[in-house]
Amino acid sequence: MRRSLRARMVRALAVAGLITALVLPAASPASGQVADDLILRVGTDQEFSGLNPWQSIYVLDYEVFTLNYDLLVGYDENLGFTEGFATSWETSDDGKTTTFKIRPDMQWSDGQPATAEDARYTYQLVLDAIAAEVTLGSGYIDGYLSSANLSAVSAPDPETLVVETSTPTSLLLPAYVPILPKHVWESHTLEQIANAEADDFFPNDPPVVGTGPYTAVEFQAGQFMRFARNPNYWGEQGAAEEVIIQHFESNETMVQALRNGEIDYARGIGADAFDALEGQEDIVTVEGFANGYSYLTFNGYSKPIEGGGASTTALADPAFRDAMGWAVDLPLLVDRVLAGHGTPGTSLIPPFHSNWYVPPAADVQRSFNLQTADEKLVAAGYVKDASGQRLDKEGEPIALRMTWPASESELATVAQFITEWWGELGIPVEAGVTEDDTLLVDLAPPEYDPPGKADFDVYMWGWVGDVDPTSLLQPFTTDEIGGSSDTFYSNPRFDELFTLQGQTTDEAERKAMLQEMQEIFYRDLPNIPLYYDSELHAYRTDRFGGWQSQPPDTGTPLFGFGPIGYTKLTVAGSTPSEAPSAGAASPGVTAAPSAAPGGSETPTADNTTLILGVGALILVLLAGGLVLMRRRGAETEEE
Amino acid sequence: MASRYLWRRVGQAVTTILMIVLVNFLLFRAMPGSPDRILARNPNVSPAAIEQTRARWGIDKPLVPDQLVAYLAATIQGDLGLSFASRGEPVTEVIAGRLGPTLLLFGLGEVIAIFVGLGLGAYAGWRRGGPVDLVGNGVSLVLYSMPYFLLGMILLLIFASTLHWFPSFGMTTPGKTYDSVFEYLADLGAHLVLPVATVALGLIGQYSILMRSSILETLGDDYITTARAKGIRSGRILRSHAVPNALLPAVSLIAINLGYVVAGAITVEVVFNWPGLGTLTVEALAARDYPVLQGVFLVLSISVVLANLLADMIYGRLDPRVRA
Amino acid sequence: MTAPAVALLTAPRPVDHLARRVLRRPDGGAGVVILTFFTVLALVPDLLVGPLQTAVTATGGRLEAPSTTHLLGTDEIGRDMLNLTVHGTRISMVIGLLATVITIILGGVIGVVGGFVGGRTDGVLMRITDFFLVLPTFVLALILAPIIADVIGSGSVFFGVRTTLFVIVIVVGITSWASTARIIRAQTLSLKERPFVDRARVIGAGRRHIMARHILPNVVNLIVANAVLVFAGAVLTETTLSFVGLGDPFQPSWGQILNAAEEVGAPSLGAWWYFVPAGACIVLVVFAFTLVGTALDDLLNPRRRARR
Repeated sequence: MRRSLRARMVRALAVAGLITALVLPAASPASGQVADDLILRVGTDQEFSGLNPWQSIYVLDYEVFTLNYDLLVGYDENLGFTEGFATSWETSDDGKTTTFKIRPDMQWSDGQPATAEDARYTYQLVLDAIAAEVTLGSGYIDGYLSSANLSAVSAPDPETLVVETSTPTSLLLPAYVPILPKHVWESHTLEQIANAEADDFFPNDPPVVGTGPYTAVEFQAGQFMRFARNPNYWGEQGAAEEVIIQHFESNETMVQALRNGEIDYARGIGADAFDALEGQEDIVTVEGFANGYSYLTFNGYSKPIEGGGASTTALADPAFRDAMGWAVDLPLLVDRVLAGHGTPGTSLIPPFHSNWYVPPAADVQRSFNLQTADEKLVAAGYVKDASGQRLDKEGEPIALRMTWPASESELATVAQFITEWWGELGIPVEAGVTEDDTLLVDLAPPEYDPPGKADFDVYMWGWVGDVDPTSLLQPFTTDEIGGSSDTFYSNPRFDELFTLQGQTTDEAERKAMLQEMQEIFYRDLPNIPLYYDSELHAYRTDRFGGWQSQPPDTGTPLFGFGPIGYTKLTVAGSTPSEAPSAGAASPGVTAAPSAAPGGSETPTADNTTLILGVGALILVLLAGGLVLMRRRGAETEEE
Repeated sequence: MASRYLWRRVGQAVTTILMIVLVNFLLFRAMPGSPDRILARNPNVSPAAIEQTRARWGIDKPLVPDQLVAYLAATIQGDLGLSFASRGEPVTEVIAGRLGPTLLLFGLGEVIAIFVGLGLGAYAGWRRGGPVDLVGNGVSLVLYSMPYFLLGMILLLIFASTLHWFPSFGMTTPGKTYDSVFEYLADLGAHLVLPVATVALGLIGQYSILMRSSILETLGDDYITTARAKGIRSGRILRSHAVPNALLPAVSLIAINLGYVVAGAITVEVVFNWPGLGTLTVEALAARDYPVLQGVFLVLSISVVLANLLADMIYGRLDPRVRA
Repeated sequence: MTAPAVALLTAPRPVDHLARRVLRRPDGGAGVVILTFFTVLALVPDLLVGPLQTAVTATGGRLEAPSTTHLLGTDEIGRDMLNLTVHGTRISMVIGLLATVITIILGGVIGVVGGFVGGRTDGVLMRITDFFLVLPTFVLALILAPIIADVIGSGSVFFGVRTTLFVIVIVVGITSWASTARIIRAQTLSLKERPFVDRARVIGAGRRHIMARHILPNVVNLIVANAVLVFAGAVLTETTLSFVGLGDPFQPSWGQILNAAEEVGAPSLGAWWYFVPAGACIVLVVFAFTLVGTALDDLLNPRRRARR
């Protein structure tokens, strides 16, 4: 009985579905549904950390929370400050009190009023966490306010927020902290908000309540996040009704999805795939400056460590490091490893920070010259023995262990180059990859809690910065040995400048300080900045137009600072002139450097060759198998 | 008597599962690195927070008995711990969320492969040296020699990138809204074609080789010779004598080989970005998300053990010699 | 990835005789010819294509299509793909060979000891064997690889092979011996009852002596036949492990080349020369091993022979 009933139901459903399918051949935007071409689909190779913004770690997480929420102070297309949750602000003469005016009559996406009290609640949460000595989530977001020495916050009226810091600071306005709705968050304890492992952790599941242009309505961990337009958004509205950010396990699949039009935007494209995308119909590639760099760190720990430490004292000697700096061909690395999509490294502040970046002076700039490197090594007291092996000052042979984290596969290629260059200087390098967590354990010095052994010689990894350069400078201060310092570099003057630059509010003064810090860094070379690898993005112009990079010359349309890129989008069809101009206005696309990728045929032709090749291969194998089988069969008959 | 055999097998399966749990525990405690260290990269994390993390994962307690006892008790209750990477989501939930897509993909692939592969193998073995045998066995051998992911990459390239017949990634078009169940099924179906074809083709190679040799084995048996001598029509011999008897060893070998299929599962899912246990495993491996790896290993191993048990029970039911 | 699909049960027969019979068969012969070809590639790659090209000694541009200077094109750092693929032969074959040796030693010893000693020892050994038989060993391999890598380190070089590759060898070895052990045990059990073993026992030979002198020689051809299938499985497992990122970029095996191709996005770039040659090599080698394995199976399986 039951079975027959189910069979009938299935049939009824089938008929109903068939009718629906016949009557409505095209997807019609019924109630609550969005036309397919008004959905912006964004691809990324990063993983979601979730929707609780305090848990953010990756660029993707930042993108997610700036879609959902506003910062107190936003960023415009030139990365200048602009209105966010606040519309204006003013700092007192002593530089310690800042008064923000909050936008009147603003609403959260659920219709509740958004006021200064929400901002106060959010900042107070950070103060509470500091007082309770807990880290809010991953510790990145609250860190902006603790670095700014936040000391008190109050909301005297719904349109006024007063923030006090214990010192004058340049770090309050750029603090990248999303303003959260108090009425949603206040029912949760600090523990529930801060600790992902807490019993009743607050994951901020969708639908998210925010003031940003789009709010998350669906989240499939490890797959995608779907955002719907926030009807109450105060600012300019983009053309997309919905935004979907899709995670891709493999870059290649992502690029193919972009080519096939399954996604409109892709971040994190491989260099060659990027070059091949250039000039494709309806696709525009954008090369943005990276706000970060890849480096090679020397273990500069100054004292011997029982059962660990560097294998030679030479690494703690700036003269030795300087010489090794001459034995790394940075432009070649950019060309070979990044296919030219990057800039050779110099400073610890990437050129992205055009305000603060200072290139080394011509008379101290290093270049690749193994002979100079050799001369400098000899001059510094590192000579070769009869067999050509380089010796340190104790007369011990120098042999370096080099490693990099498993998550950064292109560093394996860098290692292949450096191993050979340094080998020619009589310094053998034993290179091998290390799993990320293990590497972190190996890096920890005795000052770390729990104490480590700083058991490494040289290793490679990368730093990524904020809009403000402070977080890029911090790891080289003495206080950070036992914290974020991996070079164990210590220089009193550098430390002093670090403190001063965070407190001055005079831009010229700060720039002078940062210049001196960069000069000290370049001279002492605690690590070798290898390159600033470009952000390689691409987007389609057949569904959406109005793509605008932030900042225009060196940035990318999405994954910048704040949601501005999303709000500038237009429907491609409605403003036909928009798409080409956006294409032309992709100034980040620098002239393609040297070696163009294999041939200039269209990829379709390439694929045809490929398929022919593969087909031929299969045929050959099949034919071989057939012949063998036939002969074998024949033999069987004979036996 | 049948029940004694059955109970012995069940007992063995339970022992095996207990061993898996134990090995699992030991393996993962031996893993390098520890989760609290990842926090060290972050300049803003306080030592107190790191200490808190250590305490939460039980890293400070001795391995035996504290960690082991706690582990066994939790595992029995279905608590596999919290994922490191997904920021606190229970491993059981993480795995449950990925189980469906994998079951769908491999269920379909297996079913197609069993029908096509066994059919092809049986026919090829029966008509040994005939055209079907030659072509079928040649193709099977090539497919069998080809890693799943290579096959997947080639299919992806031809049918998704070049011909644009099928979508290239995922299980459904992300964010698409559906007017009817059928639209959804059509979308799902389109996404299923290439990965299922990859799995099925890979397995067909294996199964048809298996079945072919099993049939050849059976054809040597006396009763077949007798049947032939009696002049029974070939087709009937194949259907009612050879195939049922050859099926038994083939099915049990399929169950035994299930563990190897898992390897293929992992790479096929990665190639097609299929949101199943395979991609989960590779993600967890990259992030060294030990609790998730532990969970995946446990779930897969136990499934294989249970599948084997099931095959044995069917075998025992069908083959009187085993029951005795 | 091994599929120990075919049970090998047989009476003892001298190995050289067997080899000749395999060679006489067209499938076995073809398999041996293919394998000989790859063995030559593996033995003298330097003579054929010069020393392994490195990042610094690369001779070509970035991802160049095949041309007369680079018959199989170049990779993303300008290395000649023909050079890499040929050198990859040695690395893949050496990994496969070493892993097979470990597998066969483990499986052989456990099988012979279990079958011959019997009793509780056999019970325990076979429980362990059954355990490994049902485990999804590839997942175990994925988990073991990082642990072992941590234990033995990743950068150092032993006998010209980097330790990362040993990790793969060890992992493949300890996860794939179980079916070998089963087969060898079954054969040992039947040998144990033979008169010549009894005679040896009567004249007072020790267990160890009997196992080494009487049992082992009689299971050698079975071991050889099984090793052929294990080898094919080892090559596939190595390829798959490397593909998911557990290989070593300094010593590119075929699997590592495929992994690099996937990472660079070679298929979508149309750079088929990056991965089709290595893929074809894998398929050919596994295909050849399977041919030889089938040939051996046919020859060693008395039932099937009797039918003809």
